[in-house]
Amino acid sequence: MINKIIKEVKSFSIGYYILAAIAIFGLSVAAYRLYAGLGVTTNLSKAFPWGVWISFDLSTVAFSGGAFTLAALVYVFHLHELHPAVRPTVLAGLIGYSSVLVILFMDLGRWDRAYHFLIYPNINSALFEVSWCIALYSTILLYELSPVLLENTRWKGVIPIIKKWTIPLVIAGVTLSTLHQSSLGTLFVVMSPRVNPLWYSMLLPIFFLITSLAAGLAMVISGAIISYWVFGRTLPENIIAELAWFIPWTLGVYLVLKLGELLITDELHLLFNSGIYSVLFLAELVVGAVIPMILLSFKRVRHSRVGVLTASLLVLAGVVLNRFDVSWFAIKPVNGQIYTPSWMEVAILVGVLATAVLAYSLVAHYFPVFEETAEVIEEKKARKRRMGRILHPRAAAGD
Amino acid sequence: MSEIGVNPNQKGFLIDAGRCIDCRACLVACSVQNEVSNTTTRIWIKETGVVGEFPNLERYSAPYHCMHCDDPSCVSACTVGALQKDENGIVTYDADRCIGCRYCMYACPFQVPNYEWDQMLPLIVKCDMCVDRLAEGESEPACAATCPTDAIMFGPKVDMLAMAHQRIEDNPDKYVDHVYGEEENGGTATFYVSPVPFEELGFPTTESTLSPAYSNRLITHGTPAVAGAVAIGLSGVYLTIKHHEEAMAELRNDALAVETDQPEAEEPAAETQESDNDQ
Repeated sequence: MINKIIKEVKSFSIGYYILAAIAIFGLSVAAYRLYAGLGVTTNLSKAFPWGVWISFDLSTVAFSGGAFTLAALVYVFHLHELHPAVRPTVLAGLIGYSSVLVILFMDLGRWDRAYHFLIYPNINSALFEVSWCIALYSTILLYELSPVLLENTRWKGVIPIIKKWTIPLVIAGVTLSTLHQSSLGTLFVVMSPRVNPLWYSMLLPIFFLITSLAAGLAMVISGAIISYWVFGRTLPENIIAELAWFIPWTLGVYLVLKLGELLITDELHLLFNSGIYSVLFLAELVVGAVIPMILLSFKRVRHSRVGVLTASLLVLAGVVLNRFDVSWFAIKPVNGQIYTPSWMEVAILVGVLATAVLAYSLVAHYFPVFEETAEVIEEKKARKRRMGRILHPRAAAGD
Repeated sequence: MSEIGVNPNQKGFLIDAGRCIDCRACLVACSVQNEVSNTTTRIWIKETGVVGEFPNLERYSAPYHCMHCDDPSCVSACTVGALQKDENGIVTYDADRCIGCRYCMYACPFQVPNYEWDQMLPLIVKCDMCVDRLAEGESEPACAATCPTDAIMFGPKVDMLAMAHQRIEDNPDKYVDHVYGEEENGGTATFYVSPVPFEELGFPTTESTLSPAYSNRLITHGTPAVAGAVAIGLSGVYLTIKHHEEAMAELRNDALAVETDQPEAEEPAAETQESDNDQ
């Protein structure tokens, strides 16, 4: 048995070893942080009590929004043709949320009391709501993924029982996601004196929810295209195009609300006279929303692998910039003090990211995650078959 | 959302920057009373630095600690409810509950909560009006009791506010016409009078006279309704589409059954006949 494991480990490519080294280094720094406290390990201060970790959490949760967006489309709206994307996306979501939980744990001064949010509720607190929703939703993601993990084991007998409860749990999961994706925006409402007025709004929860939908879709698409090269599996082209079709609509609603809010609160002039903040804000909207919106409204781009990947990556970049702006770059300095992370803060983040990539690759390697996706070699044949079905529906139905 | 007059037990401070001599006895008294180190104090000094032209140099200072807001942002923010506003208007801190998330530090518009950055398991450091000392029957918190110039005064909140206005009225040349803390963040229990504008003392200027805690509650109190609406809406969509799909499938089956029924109704030989017809 041990020999078998050693042999298996030896067969891994060099990439796995590099990731593992980064992960071990990062997690050692994390252990030191828990032992030494926040003062010596981070650059957090009274003026900036939250830093890059919170910005990372916000971005990762938005990215993991792919899991609930897709679950809603497939199970609630019955778009069954998108089903092959469910397993890889749920796995990515679960690993995303797990890394957020690890980083949140790092951020807690009293990590020994992390369970307190379960027993001491404050219903007025957005952070309380977020903690509960993330904890519950991670459990639901694990539940949704469990058939994949159990499929080739001797416990596969319970899978039909698990699947029986899929629909109610998917609905609960989508509800919880709606709540915490938006509550992450609510977090900054009570901080209004500190948030730059370009970003501050009572609509922050709605902005966060809509951008998480766009980021989620973009994540599913880029995941499918990247795994075309990395794992040799992908989604059929027409499914990717169908997913991409939703993005311009989502971003359109976002742009209208965002600019409409500035117009109504009479803050539109801030767009051009806030110096570096204007640049950040416009970069977010133009690079992350306007350009991908234009790109993806062309059918040709939606059906081009490079085109759709470019647009999706722009959306993701825009959402990351947005989350970093709201939680870091656009926070007003106190007494001229600004914040830049310490190397240990960054090392812990990179270590957790490396662990996440490693975990994803290993699970995808050993479990039937891509089972329902199309193998790249068969892609052309499949496309021919699909074309045939469109051109000769009668003949195809008769097969 | 001022609660003045509602509860006569509400306590408050009156702090006079014109009387403070920056002796820092209040800092020492606070550290001793509450057993906190001087590095993470609950109270500190805001000052103008030396201003004016020689020989008319001036320097003003004022002790600064928790304002004990009427509608505190920190109490709304605190994940675990460690921060509470008690019936005397004191914003109290339960060190046994705190998880050290530091949300209160960001939420506070006055940047009051301090943190034990050098501790392995840090806690928040914040003025609680010496609530234990008052419970023991003392009449004043340690800082007010120690202050040699009565720059810090303590008593019923209504009296403190009235006294603040009285001082400005009696000495309109000495004080700026602004009681800091009366309107700030929707009203507080700490009132400042000062001979210089508060920005020069380094006090945060808050334009809003409504606590952000109010906006926050507007949203968080809507949560159960949103959750219910989303869950019911999604279930509705799921069932509607499912019903529709089943109805469509049934229709298809019926159509299929009709097609297959017809040849069956005829003689068994009909099958060949039909294929003949097709040709």
